[in-house]
Amino acid sequence: MSEQNIIEIQGVEKRFGSFTAVSDLNLNLKEGEFFSLLGPSGCGKTTALRIIAGFQDHEEGEIRIDGRTMGEVPANKRPTNMVFQSYAIFPHLNVGDNVGFGLRKTKLSRKEIRERVAEALEMVELGGLQDRKANELSGGQRQRVALARALVMRPKVLLLDEPLSALDKNLREAMQLEMRRLQQKLGITFVMVTHDQYEAMTMSDRIGVMFAGQLKQVDKPEVLYSQPCNREVASFIGGMNFLDADVTAESGGSLEVNVQGFGKMTIGVNPNVQAHDRKLLVGIRPEQLEIAAEKPDGYDACVRGEVTDAAFYGESVHYYVRIDGLAESVSVAVPNYFHTVDHSRGDTVWLGVQSASVIDLGKRESLGGEK
Amino acid sequence: MTKAIRIPWLLVYAVSYLVFLYLPVLLLPLFSFNDGTIVAFPLKGFTLKWYAQLGQQDTLLQAMVNSLIVGGVTALMATSLGLFAARAYVRYRFKGREVSEGLVMLPLVIPGIIVASSMLVLFISVGLKPSLTTVILGHVFVALPFSVSIMKSAFDDFDQSLEEAAFDLGESVVGTFRRVTLPIVAPGIVASLLVTFTVSFDEFVLAFFLSGNSPTLPVYIWSQIRFPAKLPNTLALGSLLLLSSVLLLLIAEYFRRRSTQSSD
Repeated sequence: MSEQNIIEIQGVEKRFGSFTAVSDLNLNLKEGEFFSLLGPSGCGKTTALRIIAGFQDHEEGEIRIDGRTMGEVPANKRPTNMVFQSYAIFPHLNVGDNVGFGLRKTKLSRKEIRERVAEALEMVELGGLQDRKANELSGGQRQRVALARALVMRPKVLLLDEPLSALDKNLREAMQLEMRRLQQKLGITFVMVTHDQYEAMTMSDRIGVMFAGQLKQVDKPEVLYSQPCNREVASFIGGMNFLDADVTAESGGSLEVNVQGFGKMTIGVNPNVQAHDRKLLVGIRPEQLEIAAEKPDGYDACVRGEVTDAAFYGESVHYYVRIDGLAESVSVAVPNYFHTVDHSRGDTVWLGVQSASVIDLGKRESLGGEK
Repeated sequence: MTKAIRIPWLLVYAVSYLVFLYLPVLLLPLFSFNDGTIVAFPLKGFTLKWYAQLGQQDTLLQAMVNSLIVGGVTALMATSLGLFAARAYVRYRFKGREVSEGLVMLPLVIPGIIVASSMLVLFISVGLKPSLTTVILGHVFVALPFSVSIMKSAFDDFDQSLEEAAFDLGESVVGTFRRVTLPIVAPGIVASLLVTFTVSFDEFVLAFFLSGNSPTLPVYIWSQIRFPAKLPNTLALGSLLLLSSVLLLLIAEYFRRRSTQSSD
């Protein structure tokens, strides 16, 4: 990954009638980066991708790809290629002709086209399948053909619209790793749209989280997870217990807070948060809570509660613990080291937490203000 | 104990319905092979002479050529119009879409005689004399609903991202239509061509009003029915038309089914 920007998006806005699909989008993507646009359906991420591709016009703002202002440049003249959600494999052409479709418009000779197609198919591990008919392909193979067909054009940027959503779970996970490997090998910028947080986390260098047409936060997956900018982002990525806290003192990079149910501690200021207030919202990830029958040692805060439910997930066990003074049960995730479910409903347990695990989520909105 | 005999009414109904529907049609070929000019039982013997005589009748051949021209041009025009209309109806949501679709389908329910007489008045008032051209215009009007509905079913399952993918891969708008859209809806186009051709080839009322001095085949047949001596010839001709119509429609149906399958 270089520091050179391959895509620069400034103040892009797209409205459909009175509905604003994308509002004031500002985003720079670096050369060779794997970037994901993550958000719930209808958040505008696909519209944003289609604006980059040139399938969708936009009212305001400017897009530069590889230093060139795109403006009115139509999709077929842009240095981008797209992998569609449906894969859009041409049903009347065989695999070789599908992959070579775009090359026919270039000045390459038939022989060169054949070589490029063969090379692209090798790359996605479909070597030698040139003559296979489109309707004889499995879901995973269709996805690979769609990838090869776009990559054979050697685009500056590859756009992927929910590329794995049509595959079943095991295949999807295998393809996540494979696509990541391919992207790193080729060094092409990938921009992927997805609603699957795990997909975005495992594949991307950086993720942009979108809600209601607005890009809320752009960061590395680790940072998004540990320092989400607000409640929305925090709840969309991973599980999170939200707690009210009151700020009692502030000094430099830390806040002294009284966390509801857990008591006093000193936590770090989250640099991604926009606005702070005495009434603060904090979050604790379920897997960062310790649960034990006896009061655990070495934690900054410990609290007693009652198990209201236990759910066995296979790789982990989730406990829901009711604590006095808290409206909602706190969820705790414990890795399944010992193949046991240690606590059951009605048990009294202790929860322990380090203050470093308590995430500052900024100003607390009044009840019902945010979901 | 004797079993009460139950009359299978539904079967009786179905059989008598089919007999009523198809017996007259089956009599046509039967009498076309009958060695006698009177269409009545008993049959007199087998002959192919009525068929043989068809080839010698110049006016009949001319009418046949007229019908082929009208049918061919109508099929091409109605199918091209239907292709673009259907793509728009299926693909885009625009103001007046439903009204426009309704209007295109309207000829299916307007009585032919109304269309025919009003078209005749219209064409004459704009200085267009009844000719094959006016017949073609009339036939395109009645064939369009068939073409639009066939092409709509061809476009229904057509994934829009196929066209976007082609465009994205550097193809032009026209090139995308030629290299992706056309091949995928081709079976639908063939089906539409065959059906609209058949619609035009069999059409009588409009052709009767609008053909002037160049009759199409159905108009010619109608004019011949008045001459008893020519009746067996007409029957032979009718049998041939029947056979070719059925064949055309079977082929059309084959292509229509292929078009809905291939776009999955």
